[in-house]
Amino acid sequence: MTAPSPIRSEVIALSGLRFAYGDILAIDGIDLVLPPGRIGLVGANGAGKTTLLKILLGVLPAASGSVTVLGHPLERGVLEIRSRVGWMPEGDCLPPDQTAADFLGYAAELGGLPPRAARQRASDVLGLVGLHEERFRFIGEFSTGMKQRAKLAQAIVHDPELVLLDEPTAGLDPEGREEMLELITRLDDFGINSVTSSHVLTDIERTCDWVVMLDGGKVLRSGPLSDLSTSDEAELEVVGDASAVAAAVVRLGASVRHHGASMVISYPSGDAFDVVRDAVVATGAAIRRLCPRRTTLEDVFLGEEDADG
Amino acid sequence: MAEGVVFDLGYRPHEGERLGRGGARRALYRDGLRRVLGLRRKARRKIFPFALTGIAVLPALFFVGLSVIAGEFDQAATLFGHPQYFDLTGSMALIFIALAAGELLIPDRVNGTHQVYASRPLTTIDYLVGRGAALATVVVGFLWLPHLVLFFGRAWVSSQGFGSYVTSEYEVLLTTLLGSFAYFVAYAPLAFTVASVSRRASLAAGVFLGMVTISGPVSAQLVDSGFSSMGLFALQQHPGYIKDWILDSSTHDWIPERAGYEPVYSVIVIVTLAVACWLVVLFRQRRIK
Repeated sequence: MTAPSPIRSEVIALSGLRFAYGDILAIDGIDLVLPPGRIGLVGANGAGKTTLLKILLGVLPAASGSVTVLGHPLERGVLEIRSRVGWMPEGDCLPPDQTAADFLGYAAELGGLPPRAARQRASDVLGLVGLHEERFRFIGEFSTGMKQRAKLAQAIVHDPELVLLDEPTAGLDPEGREEMLELITRLDDFGINSVTSSHVLTDIERTCDWVVMLDGGKVLRSGPLSDLSTSDEAELEVVGDASAVAAAVVRLGASVRHHGASMVISYPSGDAFDVVRDAVVATGAAIRRLCPRRTTLEDVFLGEEDADG
Repeated sequence: MAEGVVFDLGYRPHEGERLGRGGARRALYRDGLRRVLGLRRKARRKIFPFALTGIAVLPALFFVGLSVIAGEFDQAATLFGHPQYFDLTGSMALIFIALAAGELLIPDRVNGTHQVYASRPLTTIDYLVGRGAALATVVVGFLWLPHLVLFFGRAWVSSQGFGSYVTSEYEVLLTTLLGSFAYFVAYAPLAFTVASVSRRASLAAGVFLGMVTISGPVSAQLVDSGFSSMGLFALQQHPGYIKDWILDSSTHDWIPERAGYEPVYSVIVIVTLAVACWLVVLFRQRRIK
């Protein structure tokens, strides 16, 4: 029996990290400390997400700065890190001429598991990702969705502490996407920390509890999703014409954005809900819906990009 | 009637031992063996390696069978002695290596499986040593197996008795093993190099076979025209020349010999070529580290 892993306060720590492809700076002085759990790495294409994941694996060498993964400095313990990390690349990584069971068993052995345990793990993990019935089929006969699930299976088959997922929903139809997001959410229940890279913000919102926003190789924001997605604004929908309520809100000193019967009220100097109450009382309007406005990741991302110029 | 019950065991973490890098290396080696022999692949992938092995062993079985029926025969008069056997199996090994080298390196690169290796506790050197060791095992085994059959067959029908024959002639086993290894060292590094720059196994095999087979006649022409140093470029001739040296025989008029080079120069050529090829392949496969 191996000793249980100590509880960690951070799974990844980066300091002054830089990387360039020739003259093009892909990672520009990143400082980050990421806690255990489900981490989302979000950014437009070319933001540096895949480059960062490859640096964490030791596939790409950092030009400068330090990288610590699961408590191990990358420059001294890349093989130790790799034995405890799984990687699901965006592109193909599966041999079409092997059965899923054979390849998963092999992938587990490559991760250091003894052959017998590897075969058992391959069967178990294929069951977890919903490929148990197809485990003796050749991978070349798989659909895109099945291949994505097999890719996730190979990433966790050696029971890593951390798994890096690069665009895991790429190329999937809506049903396959739902299944993949469900599987990623379950990784936390398995005790596996995850870093999911995606340019699809809604995927990150659904699967992660910590978000890192990258743009042009720099970190725009990093923090718990709950911190990023809460706001002091109120969202109000009234029955009938909303113009009178909007005018009352403005008279009370708040700002308002409204489309038809719905409006978003912002009142930086006080509680937006107090303004709504006073405006509704003054106009006698009937409320259909009133709730705190939840900021989407897209709002935050676009706002940060605008602020960044 | 009892009803079936489905138990969802959920995720069970691996709590047993972990073999680390050593286990990963052994897994690579075993996978290489399976890949070269077509094991755990579709049936058509098994045809070539096993058919070739069968063809290679058949003459040995024939002569052993003949000697069992006819009694012990004069070894000197046997058409298929150990040196001659290499002339048959050496050409077959050349084709086998051409196809197997591509099969070992190209699919990993084309299918993106390198990315799986890159996320495991392995280095580029581990990967190449694992692949090379798998090919060496199969090729040396393929070349040596007929000699084992021939040797133990002769020991079986020998008038001096099995044990006495084995004791007195065991050196043949060592020299044929060494000769088999010479063929591997002469051919495999170049085959790996061609495979490391190609995206199609059949194309890589064709280019490798073309280079090796053409080198003989071209070198012979140049040697006969007075460029004796070109005798060292007869790539297909070196392992045979070295094999004759090891087995103390003379089965051919080897081109390096005709150019005036001792067998030791052939050893130097194949070792130098192997080192150069190793460096090229290491550079081409560097992404795993």
